[in-house]
Amino acid sequence: MTFTVVAIIFGAYIAFNEWGIMGAPQWVGLANFKAAFTDEWVAKAFTNILKYGLIIVPGVTILGLIFAMYVNKRWFLSDFVRAAFYSPNVVSATVIGLVWVWILDTQVGLVNKYLNMIGISNIPWLTSTQWSLIGVSIASIWWDLGFSFVLFLAALQEIPSELHEAAAIDGANGVQSFWYISLPILRPTISMIVTLQLIATMRIFSQVYMMTNGGPAGSSVSVIHYIYTTAIIQLKLGYAAAVSLMLFVVILIVTFIQQRLIREND
Amino acid sequence: MNISTGFKRFLQHGNMKAHDIPVWIIGLIVSVLWIAPFVWMISTSFKPPKEVMTKEIEWFPRHVVLENYKKVFEYPVARWAWNSLVVSVTSTALGVLLGAMAGYALARLNFPGKNLFFAVLIASLMIPAEMTIIPMFVGFLKIGLSNSYIALILPTIANVFSVYIFRQFFMGLPAELEDAAAIDGASRFGVFWRIALPLARSPMIATAILLFTLNWNSFLWPLLIIFDEKMKTMPVGIAAFTPVVGAHTQMEGFGVGMAGITLLSLPSLLIFFFLQRFFIEGVSRTGIKG
Repeated sequence: MTFTVVAIIFGAYIAFNEWGIMGAPQWVGLANFKAAFTDEWVAKAFTNILKYGLIIVPGVTILGLIFAMYVNKRWFLSDFVRAAFYSPNVVSATVIGLVWVWILDTQVGLVNKYLNMIGISNIPWLTSTQWSLIGVSIASIWWDLGFSFVLFLAALQEIPSELHEAAAIDGANGVQSFWYISLPILRPTISMIVTLQLIATMRIFSQVYMMTNGGPAGSSVSVIHYIYTTAIIQLKLGYAAAVSLMLFVVILIVTFIQQRLIREND
Repeated sequence: MNISTGFKRFLQHGNMKAHDIPVWIIGLIVSVLWIAPFVWMISTSFKPPKEVMTKEIEWFPRHVVLENYKKVFEYPVARWAWNSLVVSVTSTALGVLLGAMAGYALARLNFPGKNLFFAVLIASLMIPAEMTIIPMFVGFLKIGLSNSYIALILPTIANVFSVYIFRQFFMGLPAELEDAAAIDGASRFGVFWRIALPLARSPMIATAILLFTLNWNSFLWPLLIIFDEKMKTMPVGIAAFTPVVGAHTQMEGFGVGMAGITLLSLPSLLIFFFLQRFFIEGVSRTGIKG
């Protein structure tokens, strides 16, 4: 942990310097930040993580809740279903990336072949500026869902079944029972999942790296991916550290706003 | 008659009513679709190269061959797997041990600044790992530790989640037993090692599984700090089979890529299917308070 603290301070220091791998860092003050604010790639990357958040967070939250409600019924084979829904969460980004590059391939991919059958022509999921971010998001939802699913399942199991039985006796139907009993109890879980998933999504990297490498034309690039490119490929360490610091501040602000919203609602 | 009693018994056994059947079936279909990418991955990996890109969708290979797997092993995959194993096992063992020790200290000992320490610990959960990645990269590079097991292991062992799980566990554990041992003259560390730690079996297993998966799947850090082909971990090594960043797939085709990731996902999936309970316990424990 001391490790982390030292690293952060060192990182903040680097952000105010111009530094390649060779030679000593050179103090440049706010120049890195100034450059970042006018860098169109930075703007693109931050806009993209917002878009990723708008697709992945609701996707993971809503599907996770639906899947958890289904498994919570404990119908026949629900153990299998639970394992199936959780399983993508345990494999690495390399597996997620490669399997979805194959499935979403424009010419020979499984998804487009099935879409062809119902009369939809090939969609360039990962090779067009229009679709690449959506293609990566689909794979991400598949990967991340297990997390929200398990948390919802744990929360649902805490709800005493008497509550729903009592509501049913009073004439409530399934929808009403969900809306007036389950949902209010699940509120803290939902806000927690939204917060954690949003933070995780703003840090999206490995899927992007594996599936599109940020392309085409930066249409799926994320902030961490851009940090990776500037630091490792272009060796602009000071600049990369400055962009990291910006991401950190954005994440802090988002977390803070979310905490406030949750508190106001209560 | 027979069929209807059988059906009734089935419903009873499955905890269902007759009108639940359509939803039940839809759920089953969705769950099968959910694991279909894995089925497709494994199926493709056993197809001969000529049958990988067929016009029709063929869920099962016409001929089962090991050609793709042989091609995978033309790359240093065994070495990558070994690297991953060494790093994951060491990281996990040290992570669990340090987490248990720190968690125990936070739960049982009184030392100045304890609350502050815990607050900083929780706060550091909020800090994205990527914040520290550039400075760490520079640091390891400057002290000449890139391309080493130490570079891969060192940053992972002080795991906040691990500390947190053990702290919560030891807080909830009555201290009488340990007090008795202390009266009998056991040292503080002896009490921890012989009494407290053996009682913490369940959080140990949950944490170990969580950390092992995390370490086995770790991607960004090994990608940065390892340049030597031989020192790569398995996820990073096999990542070169993706068509966008590596050239392997374009040379070898998707069959080889699928064989590579089938091998890569096997340990995680096997551990998961046999130890499911601990996975789900671990995630809900860390997630809820994390």
